[in-house]
Amino acid sequence: MTMSGQAPRVVLVTGKGGVGKTVVSASLALHYASIGLRTVLVETAGATNVSALFGRTGSGYALTELRPRLSTLSLTPEAAIEDYVVQQIRFKRLYTMVFKNRVMGPFIDAVPGLHDAVQLGKVFDLSRERRAGGHAWDRVVVDAPATGHGLTMLGSARSMMELTRAGPLHEGVKQVQDVIGDPRHTAVLLVSLAEGLPVNETIELWERLGESRALLRGVALNLCLPSPIGAADWRDGSGVLDAVPNGAALRGLVERRLQRVDQQAAAAERLHAATGAPVRALSDLRAARDGLNGRPWAEPDLLRLAAQLDPSGLGL
Amino acid sequence: MSAPHTRVLVCCGSGGVGKTSLSAALAIKLARSGLRVAVLTIDPARRLADGLGVGALGNDAREVPLRALFGDDGGGRLDALMLDARSTFDNLVRRFAPDARAAQRVLDNRYYQFASTRLGGSHEYMAMERLLELVQSGAYDVVVLDTPPTRHALDFLRAPERMSGLMDQGVLKWLVMPAGVGGWRALEFGSEAVSSVLKALLGEGTVGEIAEFFDAFRGLGDGMRQRSLAVRALLRAPTTRFFLVSSPAAAARAEALFFLAVLREERMPFGGFLINRVAAAPPAFSRGEWSGRSPAEALALDAVDAQCAEQADLAAAHAKAVAALRAEGPAGAACWLVPEQSGELHELSALIALGAALPDAESVWGADGTGA
Ligand SMILES: Nc1ncnc2c1ncn2[C@@H]1O[C@H](COP(=O)(O)OP(=O)(O)OP(=O)(O)O)[C@@H](O)[C@H]1O
Ligand SMILES: Nc1ncnc2c1ncn2[C@@H]1O[C@H](COP(=O)(O)OP(=O)(O)OP(=O)(O)O)[C@@H](O)[C@H]1O
Ligand SMILES: [Mg+2]
Ligand SMILES: [Mg+2]
Repeated sequence: MTMSGQAPRVVLVTGKGGVGKTVVSASLALHYASIGLRTVLVETAGATNVSALFGRTGSGYALTELRPRLSTLSLTPEAAIEDYVVQQIRFKRLYTMVFKNRVMGPFIDAVPGLHDAVQLGKVFDLSRERRAGGHAWDRVVVDAPATGHGLTMLGSARSMMELTRAGPLHEGVKQVQDVIGDPRHTAVLLVSLAEGLPVNETIELWERLGESRALLRGVALNLCLPSPIGAADWRDGSGVLDAVPNGAALRGLVERRLQRVDQQAAAAERLHAATGAPVRALSDLRAARDGLNGRPWAEPDLLRLAAQLDPSGLGL
Repeated sequence: MSAPHTRVLVCCGSGGVGKTSLSAALAIKLARSGLRVAVLTIDPARRLADGLGVGALGNDAREVPLRALFGDDGGGRLDALMLDARSTFDNLVRRFAPDARAAQRVLDNRYYQFASTRLGGSHEYMAMERLLELVQSGAYDVVVLDTPPTRHALDFLRAPERMSGLMDQGVLKWLVMPAGVGGWRALEFGSEAVSSVLKALLGEGTVGEIAEFFDAFRGLGDGMRQRSLAVRALLRAPTTRFFLVSSPAAAARAEALFFLAVLREERMPFGGFLINRVAAAPPAFSRGEWSGRSPAEALALDAVDAQCAEQADLAAAHAKAVAALRAEGPAGAACWLVPEQSGELHELSALIALGAALPDAESVWGADGTGA
């Protein structure tokens, strides 16, 4: 067990679209808050799914407190750029003149990597923010964008360093990179599903992490389903269905689930073999799922997923 | 203008709902009905290649061996491609540069090398460019376009206009002004302040490189503007259809509706909803009527019972979700329900099975294929 004080302050969660990055980030953040750590859950690229998950409405660039010790904010590149630039040049009016300019706006938009780098910069700022003699936040959990974009964001500080080579922005992103690239300060969690393509993609994503592979602390295999019966009992007992109307279809129903359970085990093994990282199976909490009805998640369900993730076992 | 006979199908939707799988399944279905079809994925990941079993996909069309796979011959053809943004961009530069030297100047520019792969929206822009190339080649009856998750897909719908706005010399005028060969001078008025802020931020060298990039690009501007107008027209053509892919999940449905509003605003033709992974109701089973002759049989019956209950719950929830989308969507919108498949979808046979639930050419474009 790692001392929480020594665990990385920043945890970035990424993976393919729709696999459960937001749910996993929220579980982890809630877990931290529940063990007494001051935690901020950061959404990126304008996503605003966290507040609904906690049964709140509205969230933006300003911090919103969700629970005691748990706050959230949603980064947009525009707000992060404004924040950064106003900090740098100290004149809001000048910012407006340059960045809100009809012609210059699209140009600034086009500076490659800038959008992502300023968001990463904000994450860095949060991780360093001081309050009353200590850090303002014990944990910064980042619900990062999906696959390709997530990678670009993770690499954006380095890209900006290459692009700028010198100057204040270069110095700024270098500081960010020193923290975001360092496994003592920053961890990455990948979220995957137990299906062929998502597993392939997770492995591909891991390959493309390049130098950031050292940050990987674990893989969450989300939406795992339980087995309704042991394989041996099924083999010995399923003959009874021969006499039952719809027997073949009913048999198929259970056998598909059993296949699925096998597939989960195989996926966990493949992911571990490829990445070397611990793989944690998280249950499909269908009953809890806001998925179908858009209802918020119940805290115990999120904490249950966090327990399955076992952050302290991952050194987080 | 674009060749009039190639029709375009675009699949959009939020993350992981099945855009890539359904694009492939639609393309296969259309090809097997005798059409010449290309399917283009702009996802950076190698998904579609997996799905179509053609190994590594590339920027060039690879024929999917339908005939060998099915043994049937409907006269159709299917090519699969994956976007390579960099080489598409390079080709575009070569094509529209006034001469080889001008092209080389752009290709050698450090900012270009960064921008062509990392520029926000450049991937999307190149996808549109590639789409246009495929359409204009005249080699296809239908081009099916897979897209990244919605918010990015929005970028790509607007990418051509955004990019040609960017390439507009307006930017350059604001940024710096070429003062003879090799020198750069900031323009008068406000632009001086603009330029100095940028320099303070990015460093002088970088701003110079960026300016040079825009300068080198100037000769290409007109050609590219023409292209972006052609794309604009293509996306709004009467034979183009946008299908919104959703799962039964509330968040995915909300995204689909959000996208629908954008289509309206952009006057791009909506083809219908594809609601993917809809659970079927379980077969009828009544546990009380059966008792096992052994403990294992009793457990097997319990397992069947539990599985049926779970499946029935899910199917009921999905039916509600489908009804909700129908109610929230436009009246009379086409709505295709694609069942949840068991097993893995990277098998071609599974993609073919999906096709049964998907629209055919006639239901998309009418019997005469005009989409009128
Ligand atoms: N363990 C789980 N049990 C039940 N439902 C889950 C679980 N994990 C995620 N979900 C549901 O699956 C859907 C997708 O999850 P989530 O929004 O976290 O994915 P994401 O990876 O953040 O998606 P995106 O790429 O769109 O941001 C949501 O409806 C969520 O409630
Ligand atoms: N009808 C279906 N039945 C079962 N599985 C499906 C079905 N449709 C898609 N899937 C599975 O869902 C996963 C996501 O599908 P796919 O990659 O096509 O989604 P996508 O929308 O393209 O994702 P992304 O937003 O990441 O590009 C895959 O594992 C695929 O095999
Ligand atoms: Mg999310
Ligand atoms: Mg896809």
